[in-house]
Amino acid sequence: MNVLVPEIPPDYDEYRAQLRAFIAARKPTLKGKQRSGLRVPDDADDVAALRAWVRALHDAGYRLARFSLEELDPYEQRILKHEVAAAGIPVVLGNPLVSGALKAFGTPDQQQRYLPPMSRGDHIWTQLFSEPNAGSDLSSLQTSAKLHGDTYVVNGQKVWSTWAQWSDYGYLLARTEPIAGPGGISAFVLDMRTQGVDVRPLREMTGTTDFNEVFLDDVRIPVENLIGVAGQGWVAAQTSLLTERESVGALSHGGKENGLVSLARHHRRRGRVALSDDSVRQAIGAFEARKRIGAALGHRVATKAAQRSTDVWDAPLTKIWFSELNLAIAEYALELQGPRGALVEGDPEAWDDGSWQDRFLYARALTIAGGSNEIMRNMIAERGLGLPKEPRGAATSS
Amino acid sequence: MDFAFGEDHEVLRHSSRRFLGDRQSLSTLRPQLEDPEIFDRVGWREAAALGWTSMLIPGGYDGGSITDQPIIDLIVLAEELGRVLHPGPFVPTNVVADAIATWGTELQRRELLANIAQGELLAAWCMSGDGSIEGSECGVEATSRAGTFVLNGVARFVHGATVAGELLVLARCRSSLVHLIVPASTPGVAVRTQKTIDLTRRFGEVVFDGAAVSTARLIDADAEGVRGRAINLATVLQAAEAVGAADLLFHETVDYLKVRMQFGRTIGSFQAIKHRLADLLILLEGMRAATYYGALALNDGFEDVDAAVSTAGSFVGDGFSTLCGEALQLHGGIGFTWEHDVHLFLRRAIANKGLYGDPSWHRERLCAAAEAA
Repeated sequence: MNVLVPEIPPDYDEYRAQLRAFIAARKPTLKGKQRSGLRVPDDADDVAALRAWVRALHDAGYRLARFSLEELDPYEQRILKHEVAAAGIPVVLGNPLVSGALKAFGTPDQQQRYLPPMSRGDHIWTQLFSEPNAGSDLSSLQTSAKLHGDTYVVNGQKVWSTWAQWSDYGYLLARTEPIAGPGGISAFVLDMRTQGVDVRPLREMTGTTDFNEVFLDDVRIPVENLIGVAGQGWVAAQTSLLTERESVGALSHGGKENGLVSLARHHRRRGRVALSDDSVRQAIGAFEARKRIGAALGHRVATKAAQRSTDVWDAPLTKIWFSELNLAIAEYALELQGPRGALVEGDPEAWDDGSWQDRFLYARALTIAGGSNEIMRNMIAERGLGLPKEPRGAATSS
Repeated sequence: MDFAFGEDHEVLRHSSRRFLGDRQSLSTLRPQLEDPEIFDRVGWREAAALGWTSMLIPGGYDGGSITDQPIIDLIVLAEELGRVLHPGPFVPTNVVADAIATWGTELQRRELLANIAQGELLAAWCMSGDGSIEGSECGVEATSRAGTFVLNGVARFVHGATVAGELLVLARCRSSLVHLIVPASTPGVAVRTQKTIDLTRRFGEVVFDGAAVSTARLIDADAEGVRGRAINLATVLQAAEAVGAADLLFHETVDYLKVRMQFGRTIGSFQAIKHRLADLLILLEGMRAATYYGALALNDGFEDVDAAVSTAGSFVGDGFSTLCGEALQLHGGIGFTWEHDVHLFLRRAIANKGLYGDPSWHRERLCAAAEAA
């Protein structure tokens, strides 16, 4: 038994050194503030700068496996992700979940047409899944796509689409077949510049704009933009959502350092340094345990995946673990700041310019996004433990 | 990356599960729940043949692990023992064997280790006067006199004290702490069985009243080092027992809720129940990941071993009793009866909480580790 990821051999030192030099020379300076989580820029110049940065990386040969049709060197992938993350700059723009669906269900032509520009930062993608009346119950979605000759005509409304305001393409789910539930759903590539597509940014409780509403009014999509065959959209989406859950689960807690320790050192409680207060030490110890277990669960899930012995509950369990811990840590971080915990970005006395306050507010998204934690619990119980399914049926009204 | 058991471990697991199921299942314990002694010495000797007490003992003394990771071997066994709430002093005997194998003199090793490996000799660990693992709570005084140490005082919550042939005793000698290996038959050593909430294990109060032990029985090593290692090993083994017990109880509960009918449907079909079971699975898998990581850190000597072990110590300590309490609640009235096993698990979990570092002790150690990082 071991959990040690194989050491990167010294032959890769040169690759790393070159990459570091490249990042130092080409890393863009952005106007917008860097915030926690998967956040979206609100400035067009920043988007342009990010596109140029991703293109430069791609052209220099630094490419991510998720967009590649060829096998890429796993050591180089690890170094690339690590170094770019350390530089605090994104290497993936938009929400390119479609890459997995294209690889699994797309035609060779679609793969050639969409994957390389995604990798190069030329195409930014968004996801058009949820609707105002189809959240947790996604397979009840009502956006319709009716076939007229060789064109689908789409009508409906989508919501929670990250990056839609900057996106070139959308990964769309719509109902093509006259049957209820998952069997009637198809997946499409939607050119976001098509007439009838109206993107309206949505301001969230964080005060920032990371999501959008997207209205689709007689939007025409050529039939060759179907991903897979008609009625296969749900299967494609499930594949993609699994990736999203895993990526939420894999969001790092910021490495080995425990941010709460630093807060407890610099704040006071009951008239003394908070870190010397036993109740604080107990809380920090408990969070440290949960954080370490989160990492160990990650090792276990990765091992099970490698051995092809994955349990149905692995992804939802990891998602719940991460998102609830992330929220609890952020909430406690505000508590540690005492009355100052109420100060936010812009107040001269806010701790670290309100980064914990922003992280706390944003943490509320992650217990809902990617499948709400209640739906995750249903999945664990029904598909994982074999308990009877929740009854489905028409809503009762009174 | 390979954070899972290998084939050898699976063989060990299956052979142990079969043996325990045939010979030492929880139902065989049932008639002895209220007896002062609850231990099957013949069964222990047979189990020794499966390696229960030999993993941490070098080959030269009849020991040997089945893989090159003896502590991983032991947590496989511990999980299986946990599933039947085994009463035997598996944890303390291995802790004492490890201390002798690591720090004992050649004489001590030759005299004791083979007997332990063969299941002839059981051992117990006299940690403190109050059952805690604080060195400050050491309750035994040692005075050296003419080639012997004379012991006076008391140690409590000593698992296996009533059946052990040898006791690893922490004693204060002048101002420092020492470890001695004391034969339980030494004149002046008396054991009283404590009556505890845990019905599947027996703990003893060991009173030393002028008991004289040869200086040849001194463990000649830094007492803090010996104690630290023993605490880590006991914590990880107890956590693994808890994971095995919790796994069995959790799945038994799920199965029951799939068949128990009320309001014309199985109660496991209610979302209120399903979500609680999902939360219990999350808890169980967290306990498991913490335990495996802690065991690996201890076996392979990771830099963060103390924090890794305390992750298991704190999380499993609390999680096991939470899970047992929830399992009882979800069983409803039947779970409150004497004849149902669920209370035996809950009793075990409550007793575990205070042993080998309560969860708050481990959380403090984690905070200290986070501070130093």
